[in-house]
This record gives sequence, structure tokens and C-alpha cells, in this order.
Amino acid sequence: MTVHTPIETRSSALPRWAILLTLFVFLVGGVYLAANLVGENPPLAIPGESAGSPVDGSPDPAVGEALVAQATPQCSSCHGADLSGSGPFPSLHGVADGPVSENLQDFAAEYPDTWAQLWIAGAPETEGIDRMGMPAFGDQFSPQQLESIVAYLKTLP
Amino acid sequence: MTLNRNPKKSRPYDEPPKRRRRLIPDGADSAAIGFFVASAIWLAVATGIGALAIGIRLIPLELSFPLGLFDLSFEFDRRRVDYAFINATVFGWLTNAGFAAIAFMVPRLFGRSLAGIQLVNLAMLIWNMALAGGIAGLYVFDLGPNAALSAMPWLFEGGLATAALIVTGSFLATAGASIRTGYVSAWFAGVALLGLAGLLGLNATIGLVELFIELPALTVALASVFVERALVTIWLLGIAYATLHYVVPRATGQALASGGLAILTWLTWLALAPASALATLQDTSVPFIFTTLGSVATILLLVPAALAFVNLVQSMQGRWTLLFGTGTLAFAAVSLAFLLAASLLEGIGSLRTVDQAIGGTDWERGVFLWAAYGAFSFAAFALAEHAMPRVLRRAWGAGPLASAQLWLAFAGTTLAGLALMGGGLAEGSLRAAGTAPDAIDAALLLYRVPAFLGFGMVALAGLAMLVNLFLMYTSGEPVEYAIPGQASPAAAGH
Repeated sequence: MTVHTPIETRSSALPRWAILLTLFVFLVGGVYLAANLVGENPPLAIPGESAGSPVDGSPDPAVGEALVAQATPQCSSCHGADLSGSGPFPSLHGVADGPVSENLQDFAAEYPDTWAQLWIAGAPETEGIDRMGMPAFGDQFSPQQLESIVAYLKTLP
Repeated sequence: MTLNRNPKKSRPYDEPPKRRRRLIPDGADSAAIGFFVASAIWLAVATGIGALAIGIRLIPLELSFPLGLFDLSFEFDRRRVDYAFINATVFGWLTNAGFAAIAFMVPRLFGRSLAGIQLVNLAMLIWNMALAGGIAGLYVFDLGPNAALSAMPWLFEGGLATAALIVTGSFLATAGASIRTGYVSAWFAGVALLGLAGLLGLNATIGLVELFIELPALTVALASVFVERALVTIWLLGIAYATLHYVVPRATGQALASGGLAILTWLTWLALAPASALATLQDTSVPFIFTTLGSVATILLLVPAALAFVNLVQSMQGRWTLLFGTGTLAFAAVSLAFLLAASLLEGIGSLRTVDQAIGGTDWERGVFLWAAYGAFSFAAFALAEHAMPRVLRRAWGAGPLASAQLWLAFAGTTLAGLALMGGGLAEGSLRAAGTAPDAIDAALLLYRVPAFLGFGMVALAGLAMLVNLFLMYTSGEPVEYAIPGQASPAAAGH
């Protein structure tokens, strides 16, 4: 009276190609894992939180550090994991003493207090300067957040 | 003496009393029917909200007005619409369809009626009422640091967890000790259900604890992103595998090609699905190796997808003509293709260098669309196509509606997913090239318009399914199928 009809299988054996394919892909995964054991995760982009708006309105280097890690694309993808430069991309260490790149020297002289915020944001004042692949982050961060980012960068030795 | 047989002349007390319908039905397939109908309604709702979510990226819109009650106000913004869309899709459409699949498959796999059918029907009511209330709550209450699938107020999350526990209990009571020798679909469904109940329980517990203790925002955020990812890899992926391994042999009328491959698929998925969720825990407080392990597991999820693809395609051998119709096998084949493609794209996206370039862009939304509306939805369509005639005892109406459902959903999901992924790639490269924000927005318009149109087509497919279901119920040709656990005079297979 019941209608129990289990689904049959043609074969219960495991094909050799499946075992080999699985082992191969797991091996590739193992190699990727071994090559990426060391590093540091960026701070979590907490959903709905416009990351790092200092409560008292003053720039906060700790907030800036979190924002640097949340930037899309991440600053470290060009400037290196510790922001000390990578290939053609300059180091961000020492920006407290002024821009490292030559193309920004004149601009920094013209805007000695705000050059870094303006440059990172891609503000109209920077028009005409070759950005050399540097993205504009003005759409991602508020002016206050940009100040925190610059405050953090200025703490880099 | 002769009795007056003229019905026009009979009085009310001459008629036998009508059988009263119970508030909670207890028919053998009533739970499957209820969940299927609820899922079809949620599909129409979810696709409508999805079109709105893309639409407000084209024309930004934010609204806020007080409700005049406890200082509450209705808030309408991009984040809330996105969250409503994801909840309606995952918990509304796909989870109702998943529960329907379980309520349909399990009795047929184990040859006995679903245990506690009335409780399962009650669970269906609890689930859908909690979900409707929770989604409404998304527009009113503070979302906090939660990801989409953890953002509902705790009372509604508790309702969802309770309903999931009831369905899980019913599943375990039905399967009993037979599960060890059961078909692989039952294994997939069992693990998926346990995962769903556990994750929803975690969600509700966190919400409850937060009522009394203020948890750090970071802890809540980490838990919520983990739960969100794990719900997709354990529950949605698991139930899709369960469904596909069930319907393909049924639709082809021939045995599954390889039981060994199916078990290897299950084992690799079982090991990788929970680990994959670790990839979302990207925070300085989490050891780097954990998140790398999660990324590797995400990449390796391609293995069970590929194994299932090969096994099920081999099971279709000799039945290729069925692929060209609008029946179960056509839906299942599309689901398998999307499953493989989405797994591949998820794997590519989880590579750290790729993630740095396109993380947070429309790429992620495009891949989600292919997984949710491609792989998982088509698996649900396939099961609905197979199961609905069997539970309603009526044939699908032959007509353009089934074709419309298949082709609109297929073309719409493909177009919308491709457009969003293309937009994500463009956004990543434009940002890397230092393009001004206004120029980026203008460029993305070219991708978001086709995405909107594509998702509109998916919404029409959802409507087509709903109308087709209604027509089947009201005017479909009667057919006879067997019901598990009951005598059947004309078993036409199930």
C-alpha cells in the first residue's frame, strides 16, 4: 500500500577521474593556503556604519587606520601591505613632512595644510595633476573621514 | 414513499452537514502545498523589491515619515530596500520552496507520511507571519550593525527559528533511523535543515541577549556576516543539491549515474560549506589564517558543483530531448549550469587580490543574483514543476505561461547578473584609474539600466509562475498520483 520507491543508482562505485580531480583541486587549494598564511585582515566594514566618524569632530588616527583598510580599492593594493611603497607606487611613510611624489611638490606648496585631503579626495583643485593611477576617494569618504585618514598617514614614520 | 431528489426543492436540513475545514489542515501533502504557494507569492514580492532596489540606484530616493506611534517612523533608503530584497529572496522565496521540497521529497524517499503534519503546517504559518512582520520591521526599526539576514527584530527572528526547528524535528522524526540507508537527497536536506535551524537559533539568541546586554558592534557584525554567508552555503546550496539529485532521476525516469559520485559531492560540500563562511570574518581581530581558510573553502566549493554537474548530466543520457521543453529537466539543467558558473565566480571573487579590486562593487550583487535566481531558483522551479501536479492532482496547463516562466527567468537572471558583474568590474577599474566619482556613476548607468530591465523580466517570470499555479488549481486537468503512506488506486508514479 505504500509507495516507497527509492531512487536507484546505476553504480555505487566512485570513478577514478573524480578522485583525481578532487585531489588535484584540493592540492591547488592547499598551495593557495600555504602561500597566504601570513598577513593581516583589514578592519571589518561594519554594515550600515559610516566607518569612523569621530564623535567630537576631531580627526582620529585610529579611525583613519580603519578607513584606510576599508577603502575600495584598498590603499595597500598599490602602496604595499605596510604602505611603504610597491613598484612605481610611492611610500606613504613620512607624509607628515610633505608629499613623497615629485608631481605633488608644487601642489603641496600651494595648499600646505590641506594638500593630502584634497589629493586623496580627487578634489577639483587637483585637476591637471597626473594622478598616475591613484583613484579618487571623495565619493567614499566624507571630508571629516579624509581628515582622519590623513591624521593616520601622518603617524607613519 | 419516494424521496424528493430534486435538489432545488431540498431544504437546508435535508442536506448532510458540510465537512468543516480545519484551521490547520492535516492532509498528507498539505504542508508541501502550503509552502509551495507561499514561496510563489514571495517570489513575486521579492522580485518586485529587487527591481526597486536596482531602480533606486538609477534614481536615488529616500523617504522618512513618522508613523505617529512610539516615535517610530517609516524609513525608506537603499540599505533597507536591499535588506528587504535579500530577506524576501532567501527566507521568503527560496526557504519556503526549500521547506516545500522537504515536505514533498521526504515522505516519498522514506515511504511514510511526514511526521507531525499539523505542526509543520503551523510552522508554515509562523514562518511566513514572522517573515512578513520582520520585513516590515526593516523599514521601521534600527538595523544596527547587522548584515541583511540578521537585521530583523529578535521577536521575528525567534519566530523563524521556531518554525525551522519544527520542520527539522518533523524531518528527523520521519526519516528516523532509515536516514543512514536513505538516498543522498535526504542527507543533503538533513544537514541543510540542521544548519538552517542552528544559524537562525544563533541569530535569535544574539537578538535576545542584546535586549539585556549591549554587545560590541564588532561582535554582532562578525556574527551576522558569518550567519549570512553560512545560510547561503549550507542551507540554500544544500537544499539545491538535495532537490537536483531528487528531480533529475525522476524527470528522466532512469537511475542516478553514480551513487559514489553523489556521496563524494555530499562529503566535499559538507566539509567546505561551513568553512567557506569563515572568509567573511575579515577583521583585524580574526587570525589571518582563518579567513584564508574560508577563501580556500569558497574556491574549493567548485568541486562539489562540478561533481554534481557531471553526475546529473550523465543521469540525463538518452533523455536529451526533454531538455528542449519547459519541463522539470529543462529547469534542472539551467540550475546546474548556473550552479557551476556561480561557484566558479564565487571562487574567483574570493581571491584576495580580486576581492581588493572589486569588493563592495556591483560584482558581488551580480554573483548573488546568479546563485539565488539562477542556481537555487531554477532548482526550486524544477521541483515545483515535478511536484505540483502530484500534490494538487492536476496537470500544468499547456500554454505560453510555462515558457514565459522559463525563458523570462533565464534571460532576465543572465542579463541582470552579467550587467551587474560587468558594472562591478568597470567600477573597480575606473576607481583604480582615478576616475572622478561623477564619471564613475555615469559609466555605471550603462550597466544598471540593463540590470534593471533584466530583473524586471525575472519579476514577470515570478508573476507567470503565480498565474500558472492559479490556473492549474482552478482549471487544470485532474491526474492521479500516489500519496506516501496511503493506499492509491492509480499510482502514476511520483
